[in-house]
Amino acid sequence: MNRFDYIRPATVSEAVAAASVPGSAYLAAGTNLIDLMKGGVVRPERLVDVSHLPGLDGIEHFPDGGLRIGALVRNADLAHDADFAARFPAVAEALLSGASPQLRNAATVGGNLLQRTRCAYFYDVASACNKRTPGAGCDARGGQTRLQAVLGWSEACIATHPSDFCVPLVALDAIVEIEGRSGRRDVPLESFYRLPGDTPERESVLEAGELILAVRLPGTAAAFAGHARYLKVRDRTSYAFAIVSAAAALQIESGRILQARLALGGVALKPWRTRAAEDSMAGEITGPDTFRRAADIALADAQPSGDNAFKIELARRIVVRALSQAAVGTPKRMPALPASPFAAVSGAITYV
Amino acid sequence: MSRYDVNGRLYAAEPQPGECLRSFLRSLDVFGVKKGCDAGDCGACTVHIDGKPFHSCLVPAFRGDGCKITTIEGLAETGEWHPMQKAFHDAQAFQCGFCAAGMIMTAVTFTDAQRADLPHALKGNLCRCTGYRSINDALHGTCNIEPDVAGNALGASLANPFTSEILTGRARYTMDIAVANLLHLKVLRSPHAHARITGIDRSQALSIPGVVAVYTWEDVPKRLFSSALHEDHLVDPDDMMLLDDVVRFVGQRVAAVVAETEAAAEAGCRALEVEYEILPAVFDPVVAMQPGAPQLHAKDHLSNSGNIFCTLAGEIGDVAQGFAEAFAIHEQTYSTTRAQHVHLETHGSIAWKGADNRWHVRTSSQAPFAAQKKLAYVMGIPARDLHVFTERVGGGFGGKQEMVSEDLVLFATIKLNRPVSWEWTREEEFIAATTRHQMTTKVKIGARKDGTITAMDVEVVSNTGAYGGHGSETLGAAMASPIAAYRCKNKKGIGHAVYTNMTPAGGFRGYGASQTTFAIEQAIDELAVLLGIDPFAMRRRNVVMPGDNIESIWQEPSDASFGSHGIDECLDIVERELAKGNGIVKPEGADWLEGQGVALAMLECGPPTEHRSGAEMRLLPNGTYHLACGSTEMGNGITTAHKQIAAHILGTRIEDIDIINADTDRTPYDTGTFASTGTVVGGKAVHLAAEAMMADILAFASRHTGVALDQCRLDNDAVFCGNRRLSLSELHAAGTAVDHRFSVNRRAYLSPRTIAFNVQGVRLAVQRVTGEIRVLHSVHAADIGKPINPMQCRGQLDGAVAMGYGWALIENMVHDDAGRMVNPQLRNCRIPSFADTPHTDVFFANTIDAIGPLGAKSQGECGINPVAPAVANAIANATGLRFAHLPFTPDRLFARLAAHS
Ligand SMILES: Cc1cc2nc3c(=O)[nH]c(=O)nc-3n(C[C@H](O)[C@H](O)[C@H](O)COP(=O)(O)OP(=O)(O)OC[C@H]3O[C@@H](n4cnc5c(N)ncnc54)[C@H](O)[C@@H]3O)c2cc1C
Ligand code: SF4
Ligand code: FES
Ligand code: FES
Repeated sequence: MNRFDYIRPATVSEAVAAASVPGSAYLAAGTNLIDLMKGGVVRPERLVDVSHLPGLDGIEHFPDGGLRIGALVRNADLAHDADFAARFPAVAEALLSGASPQLRNAATVGGNLLQRTRCAYFYDVASACNKRTPGAGCDARGGQTRLQAVLGWSEACIATHPSDFCVPLVALDAIVEIEGRSGRRDVPLESFYRLPGDTPERESVLEAGELILAVRLPGTAAAFAGHARYLKVRDRTSYAFAIVSAAAALQIESGRILQARLALGGVALKPWRTRAAEDSMAGEITGPDTFRRAADIALADAQPSGDNAFKIELARRIVVRALSQAAVGTPKRMPALPASPFAAVSGAITYV
Repeated sequence: MSRYDVNGRLYAAEPQPGECLRSFLRSLDVFGVKKGCDAGDCGACTVHIDGKPFHSCLVPAFRGDGCKITTIEGLAETGEWHPMQKAFHDAQAFQCGFCAAGMIMTAVTFTDAQRADLPHALKGNLCRCTGYRSINDALHGTCNIEPDVAGNALGASLANPFTSEILTGRARYTMDIAVANLLHLKVLRSPHAHARITGIDRSQALSIPGVVAVYTWEDVPKRLFSSALHEDHLVDPDDMMLLDDVVRFVGQRVAAVVAETEAAAEAGCRALEVEYEILPAVFDPVVAMQPGAPQLHAKDHLSNSGNIFCTLAGEIGDVAQGFAEAFAIHEQTYSTTRAQHVHLETHGSIAWKGADNRWHVRTSSQAPFAAQKKLAYVMGIPARDLHVFTERVGGGFGGKQEMVSEDLVLFATIKLNRPVSWEWTREEEFIAATTRHQMTTKVKIGARKDGTITAMDVEVVSNTGAYGGHGSETLGAAMASPIAAYRCKNKKGIGHAVYTNMTPAGGFRGYGASQTTFAIEQAIDELAVLLGIDPFAMRRRNVVMPGDNIESIWQEPSDASFGSHGIDECLDIVERELAKGNGIVKPEGADWLEGQGVALAMLECGPPTEHRSGAEMRLLPNGTYHLACGSTEMGNGITTAHKQIAAHILGTRIEDIDIINADTDRTPYDTGTFASTGTVVGGKAVHLAAEAMMADILAFASRHTGVALDQCRLDNDAVFCGNRRLSLSELHAAGTAVDHRFSVNRRAYLSPRTIAFNVQGVRLAVQRVTGEIRVLHSVHAADIGKPINPMQCRGQLDGAVAMGYGWALIENMVHDDAGRMVNPQLRNCRIPSFADTPHTDVFFANTIDAIGPLGAKSQGECGINPVAPAVANAIANATGLRFAHLPFTPDRLFARLAAHS
């Protein structure tokens, strides 16, 4: 690990000022950042520790059913907040499907949004990676592409965003609250991340020194609570990043879909919301035909970035299945092994 | 100065910049905090910060400032064990024990809801040994142990003698000691698969503060050796050097840097400037066999065999004739993947010069005696000046039948005259430690209409990687028992072990036989399907029986023979259990396809090459015994079994026998604990030593009392000479007075080798939409003779079967076309966790072996062999499709499964 300065600011504005100096990085729980620093993948010159900043670790509930989650709220605390889980079950399911209890005890909401890609070549400092070293080239091209993107990728970078949490969040219109030198601003999560283009090193719209304060979910998003699921295909039942995942949320009235929400994980460098597919379901009856059409639309633009065409078909199937599960209804109890396809369509699962 | 409250003790200390809490705690000698990965994947480092569990390897050390930190050492603060420690004790929820501290620290925080959902709650903790069954038992309050009663040791489920140390964090694994003045070694590893080193500039590295020395190929003895450890070093090719000027795989050592801290040594490695002349590389063994392929080793001038390190071939009967007689013939190529052992304790060694002017190497090895011989040869020092030993070893599975960390620390310590330590990272384990041999097996097999096999023809290509250690031995095993398991007059085979520029392969539980069992057991099923015969019936008709020739493709007389025979019983058990079912139904819906499969595996107990073990016993002044054995305890339970064998003979409690093992100074010679020899060879030595001990005691008692020998008998802690009772301590005192020492030493050698069987049955469901697999019912039956400790035997099988599932379903080392592993982390190259490991019902055939000690046979390895083919057969049964190549990960399956309609 490189040598670095360590700063522990007392207020948000001190933090923003400290982190505006080039070479700085915010440190939340460090479950991602420390791991990257150990491997020499990132080498910040100064760490600005935000973990003690006041006022960022609460969950505020609004009368309209919406809420505001402080950037320092631990993934575990959020997932186990009963009110939250009741209103946004797919988000809770996504959180619980990721990482391990020990990690979720530490990991923060802000850190989860900004965790870096798990692209193996990004992690391996001996490989060329445009994200790590702009202009260096990308060893993932022509390399192992099983876990790489099929949507929104560019010649410069074909990596994926690893977060589970962000997938239902983006489907449910989450807003990111940001504080920077020029003040506070709100950015919808949907436009928070940048696609790689020619500058894969720029991952989000954050400017130097900008700090995430909170994530807000609007009250309208709680209207999907009765029909919301997150489904994640992984190589190992437990504890692995998604090969492909999907968050599906529906509002249904007498068998007809009023509104649908759909986002995919593991397919692009950002959580991939697909509005055209959502729109195609409005007014339709729930069922395989509607869902399959939506899946086709969602993946219409997908292109393999290497030897990973299988992900396109897998994603279609996952979409159909997640929508079918959502249509049946959110299970009363969080399923054992959240987001696991081992569950029946009804969500019932007995694990042995 | 920051203040850290660790287990109620206050430390005023300052962590290194960027240090994680795990390494900081260990620098305070809190060694109960383990390292399995240093990346948040394994949970071995779990500690509590203010009462909540965290992976301490991902917590910056300064975060602990002002918090209450609790480690396993602090759990039993009052001296009273925590109920969870007690539960782990009663269930014996560990084998090597390396994961236990982290498991316990995680489990003590569980709420009832979490306890009801262990697959999810235990996501962050890995165990490679137990298959999680005993851990599940602990969390449900099951007691698996029986009391230690004099005279009842044989066949009793007694607790591991080191339980308390392991569960309280006091057990000392290889790296768990503080050594004064210690230096740290790190190596720079090759980024190229094949290159000649044309220059190394060490000046930058040497200028880094703390760096003490840099060693390259120019500095080391020019002696060729093999890192593989066997009794006879000639079975492995001498094809490597401590440091070489040619690198032959990505990950090979290029140079070693020794420094005052690990961080400085790492920085020194980064600062080395190496010039390489890139050489052409070859990764596919079939290509490597072609003329004109890049050559790896130039040493083979005589035979000019190119990259083929070893070819084994043979034929019995007339295979062409056999196929002509066949009614149905199946022919298919099957292949298996490389796999890493992932013993949770990585490789590591510490070397120093002692006050006795000798060199001492504390290491994590399955074969310290073989390592001692090899080290003496490579360094050119007399073996008597070298002491190699283990304390506790955190898992082996064949990965530590390899001398890969001892050599450089010993070399550096001799050069520098200071203690030197080297602990491997998890990434190094993946890219530079050995793996299972990747093998491709073509099987052609024919049978008559009634199922009688008339001919078998097997072609094996084994990728031994850049170095050939274990290459010929694993190939020999691959071409032996899986073929010998079936009675057939006409058999033929040819196998090649081939050098390529891949990570060298080595010994791995199942040792070559796993790979060809995978092929042959699927071929048997395919043939059964062609003939319309039930897979159990097909195996019963053809499996080798007492009276049959036990032969593969060679007719030379073999020393393998049946000391007992339980395969038919195993098949019956598995068939019965699968038919009976376990009440678990497949998930609802037409997306799930259900099927069942079976496979068997045969094992010759012990290697065909030499293997020797010694045991020494002494009666101590207090009337208890001391037992010294050369074999290694690495979670295989061998110390418990050895104590039980001795206690049984001497009619005493195991508590009254203390034991040391695997130490070239303090225990008798042992080839090494591999090839399933711990019980059948090491145990035999213990058996002989205990008998000799008893004879010695009774002979002295008879002389001492004047009572005829046949009137003297041993009774637990005393001897009766006629009616006179003499406690053993009195007897010892009497002996001492006349310089009688009550010490005996016996050696054992294994021949004939008996034969064990394992049968695995699987019922599973395949999800058509995603290609995922869910195991619904897993049954394993083992013919292992008399289980010396049934609980431990079951544990070994639980662990072996779980590893089999990992190999079949999950584990996947991915290399790119430059020979680089792209997923060298546990996060990306996964092993099964609790949720991925199905519960397996384990049964034992009721056999008592006539050859093995006290009726026992080997069983540490063979449980893994039938698992992957049984899974494959079940998938074929469910889907109608034959998947002939491992692993069965979702993306590889689903493309062939029909889309859901
Ligand atoms: C073994 C392992 C397995 C995992 N599995 C999963 C999984 O299956 N699914 C999943 O979704 N996640 C998974 N994770 C990721 C985990 O959720 C993230 O590591 C975690 O959420 C990051 O949070 P943190 O607080 O530790 O962030 P840090 O590591 O402290 O920071 C991460 C990044 O965010 C920046 N940052 C942090 N907070 C802020 C802020 N408020 N404003 C601006 N920038 C900020 C930091 O500068 C840094 O670049 C896994 C992680 C590990 C180690
Ligand atoms: S895909 Fe992106 S992250 Fe991966 S190596 Fe290429 S540039 Fe780097
Ligand atoms: S060592 Fe910390 S999780 Fe493995
Ligand atoms: S006992 Fe769990 S890793 Fe060995």
